[in-house]
Amino acid sequence: MRVSNVTVRKRLTVALFVGILVFFIIDLRLGYVQFFLGNLLTDGAKELWSRDIPFEPERGEIVDRNGVPLATNVSAPTVYVVPRQIKDPADAAEKLAAVLNMSKEKAYQLITKRESSVKIPEGRKISHEKAKEIRALEIEGLYIGEDSKRHYPFGNYLSHVLGFSGIDNQGLMGLELYYDEELKGKKGSVKFYANAKGERMNDMADDYKPPVDGMDLKLTIDSKIQTIVERELDIAQAEYNPDGIIAIAMNPNNGEVLAMASRPDFDPANFRNVPPEIYNRNLPIWSTYEPGSTFKIITLAAALEEGKVDLEKDHFHDPGSVEVGGARLRCWKKGGHGSQTYLEVVQNSCNPGFVELGERLGKEKLFKYIRDFGFGEKTGIDLQGEGKGILFNLDRVGPVEQATTAFGQGVSVTPIQQVAAISAAVNGGTLYTPYIAKELINPATGEILMKKSPDAKRKVISKETSDEIRQALESVVAKGSGKKAFVDGYRVGGKTGTAQKAQNGRYLENNHIVSFIGFAPADDPQLVVYVAVDNPKGTIQFGGVVAAPIVGEIMGDSLRAMGVKPRKNQIEKELTWMDSPMIEVPDMVGLTKKDLGELYLNLKIDASGKGNTVVKQTPQPGIKLKEGSTIRLYFDEK
Amino acid sequence: MPTKKTTPDFILMIVTFMLLAVGLTMVYSASAIWADYKFDDSFFFAKRQMLFAGVGIIAMFFIMNVDYWTWRTWAKVLIIVCFVLLLLVLIPGIGNVRNGSRSWIGVGAFSVQPSEFMKLAMIVFMAKFLSEKQKLITSFRKGLVPSLGLVFLAFGLIMLQPDLGTGTVMVGTCVVMIFIAGARISHFVWFGAAGLAGFVALVLSAPYRIKRITSFLDPWEDPLGSGFQIIQSLYAIGPGGLFGLGLGQSRQKFFYLPEPQTDFIFAILAEELGFIGGSFVILLFALLLWRGIRIALGAPDLYGSFLAVGIIAMVAIQVMINIGVVTGLMPVTGITLPFLSYGGSSLTLMLMAIGVLLNISRYARY
Repeated sequence: MRVSNVTVRKRLTVALFVGILVFFIIDLRLGYVQFFLGNLLTDGAKELWSRDIPFEPERGEIVDRNGVPLATNVSAPTVYVVPRQIKDPADAAEKLAAVLNMSKEKAYQLITKRESSVKIPEGRKISHEKAKEIRALEIEGLYIGEDSKRHYPFGNYLSHVLGFSGIDNQGLMGLELYYDEELKGKKGSVKFYANAKGERMNDMADDYKPPVDGMDLKLTIDSKIQTIVERELDIAQAEYNPDGIIAIAMNPNNGEVLAMASRPDFDPANFRNVPPEIYNRNLPIWSTYEPGSTFKIITLAAALEEGKVDLEKDHFHDPGSVEVGGARLRCWKKGGHGSQTYLEVVQNSCNPGFVELGERLGKEKLFKYIRDFGFGEKTGIDLQGEGKGILFNLDRVGPVEQATTAFGQGVSVTPIQQVAAISAAVNGGTLYTPYIAKELINPATGEILMKKSPDAKRKVISKETSDEIRQALESVVAKGSGKKAFVDGYRVGGKTGTAQKAQNGRYLENNHIVSFIGFAPADDPQLVVYVAVDNPKGTIQFGGVVAAPIVGEIMGDSLRAMGVKPRKNQIEKELTWMDSPMIEVPDMVGLTKKDLGELYLNLKIDASGKGNTVVKQTPQPGIKLKEGSTIRLYFDEK
Repeated sequence: MPTKKTTPDFILMIVTFMLLAVGLTMVYSASAIWADYKFDDSFFFAKRQMLFAGVGIIAMFFIMNVDYWTWRTWAKVLIIVCFVLLLLVLIPGIGNVRNGSRSWIGVGAFSVQPSEFMKLAMIVFMAKFLSEKQKLITSFRKGLVPSLGLVFLAFGLIMLQPDLGTGTVMVGTCVVMIFIAGARISHFVWFGAAGLAGFVALVLSAPYRIKRITSFLDPWEDPLGSGFQIIQSLYAIGPGGLFGLGLGQSRQKFFYLPEPQTDFIFAILAEELGFIGGSFVILLFALLLWRGIRIALGAPDLYGSFLAVGIIAMVAIQVMINIGVVTGLMPVTGITLPFLSYGGSSLTLMLMAIGVLLNISRYARY
């Protein structure tokens, strides 16, 4: 007898087909998981199985424009632990703690962490000797990774600009932070596959992903000039014990910063030894203060460009003060400068004369030029923490504000703004964005990956006006308040500044920021140097006295280092009673001793050799020496 | 009562042995690492499974020669004994807790799960009941209510342990048997509607339940909790690809997938043998289903037909739920894969059930 119930037979068939269909669906799902989700799941599973031992990339070096390294790396071994591979944690902890000078408890806690790999804080960036000791322990699961540590070969040198990086080689300040993305590179790793207990699965090959080293950063900085600047700041620091010093050297023709330094400074390797406000503030771009008379260059440029003044023909009488809007504004010189041409007004840095120029311009024009020269906004230099300064709001500028602004009071600017603005005033009239990073270089191939080109923001004044400004400012150094910046043959032009410091809405007594901004050579400026000394002690606080000589020294040595040739047709320095006159060395080769006696030179002679006739001399003819200097002559028979 | 015995269904037997062979291989492969770690003996689970298989095969051949009507005579006794055992297992001290469920009676290796026996007893009882009262099955009150009432009584007791997996398989099997017996489709529709309404009510009363039910759809939502097993399972299956990593090459069995030789053995199989291997096993089960239904169709009486359907439905439903869970189609329930998963009572009971099926096949005429 077989089942004959029709319904039962039908339904059995249905059940068979439904069952087969469900099996088919399940098989489809299996295929979906293995083929469509396969890659995704395989990646996830590999992630699950793999344990990474990180390989740190080498951080890019920072070098100066000639390739001199300013920030480099030294290798520093670092201890890693793979907790699951350690067979006897108590024993390992004890041995490790002894070598690394840490507590056993802490070591034990770290090496028993439920993590795939653990860095021991005390074992980071240790000495090679210590690394050797740890290797000698021969503990399974303990690894020494080759990490690198930042090294600043010049110490304090350029510290604010370079900044520093932290224990993880991450940029924290300065260029190290600003270009961190480019410098830091990409981490690599050795991936090994492990079971859920962290033990290596030997049948799966380790996966090595090499780290990508960071790019090298080439700066516009010239270490030769930076060295000169640092030296001069050290000397000034020792001489005046000021509250601070700021110096910037820039190429006026493209905005390349050649040197930047400030005091107080710090050692990037030990930045914690100084208070944060010292390493956090890069004064040349951060600080804002009243510029004082250096700002008069802007007023002068505006007046010349607008045709409001003729330096030779226009005259101005300075009675010692001027009354503006009911307020009496004094000239820095008691009793005034009397009657002068406008060129003399500039040379003397005469305040009432500039008040007059401000009035001729009117506030709209004056402030338009101030803004055009880049004041009131960040210059955009590639450094962190740039200040912006403060300008009067135009609708709140009355006659007094206009007058004080014209000679550099009541405005607040940064040193880098001044350098950029004065560069524009003397380079033919173009305002450039200052910059400090020149190129990014692939460290392996030397290939240049990024090259920054000068960024001309705008044309502010005409070439003719710029020519006239250079001439006027050269005369300031040769004949006016900036004499101490004079460098023979290099045609230095410039302007002094003595700014009062305001605190709690009042000016401080006997506490000034004295500054000088200079450029040279005046016929084709190659270098702009700005120096500001904050509250120098034991001296008259005048820019011409304190800051001008520093700029002179920097200027002379730097131009020689740059290979700029001395000029012939300079404006000769007007001597004051303080100066000893300069004597041009004559050509003395071929002269006899008798001839020398008739020269009546006020120079000492250091003679050597036998004979009667000069065959060689140092210095060479044409060089100027101070009265009483020594000249060496070599005699021979002729 | 038919008297003429013929040979048993050899295809069914061969398919069963093939599944058993695959199962033993995979139990060894999946468990070796764990076994070596826990018992210092990589064959620990394989040896035991081998023993269970031996016992199971002997039982299968024995039962193959026991006339299936014998079970009908014992049906009432069997089901009463099982109900008593289901009650006893709930009493602490008698029932032992494993994996959070009080499902076991006995000591150590001689422990059994009463719910597993209830599954089989219920199939026998339902086959008897439905074949005797087949005319009444179209009646709601006289047919459906008593049969389903009994099933849900047993289900309720099983859920007190709780053992959702076994309970679900039992209910599913019985529903299939009632369907085959000829219950009205409209009744199924009504029950389906009532079930749906109840489900909706449950969800509305406590919305978190829907999350628990749908969490299997996105196991990554709770990767270390409810999603853990399914993620580990998918991480095994996914990398398997078409041909698999090769026998013995599973990575997930290295402590990632917990107890890889039991409920999730199919994941390791798919990892090592790939889509080809997985599909082959599914095909074997489909063949098993085909032979089972064929035996039901050829059975000499309704009782034999229903018994055959009950047994094959149980196997098929367990396979569907298990592979469904392992591939992430269904929430985790805790059901073994017949013939493949490690476990003594599961394997021996399955082989005994196949023995019954083989006995029916000896009387079948096609």
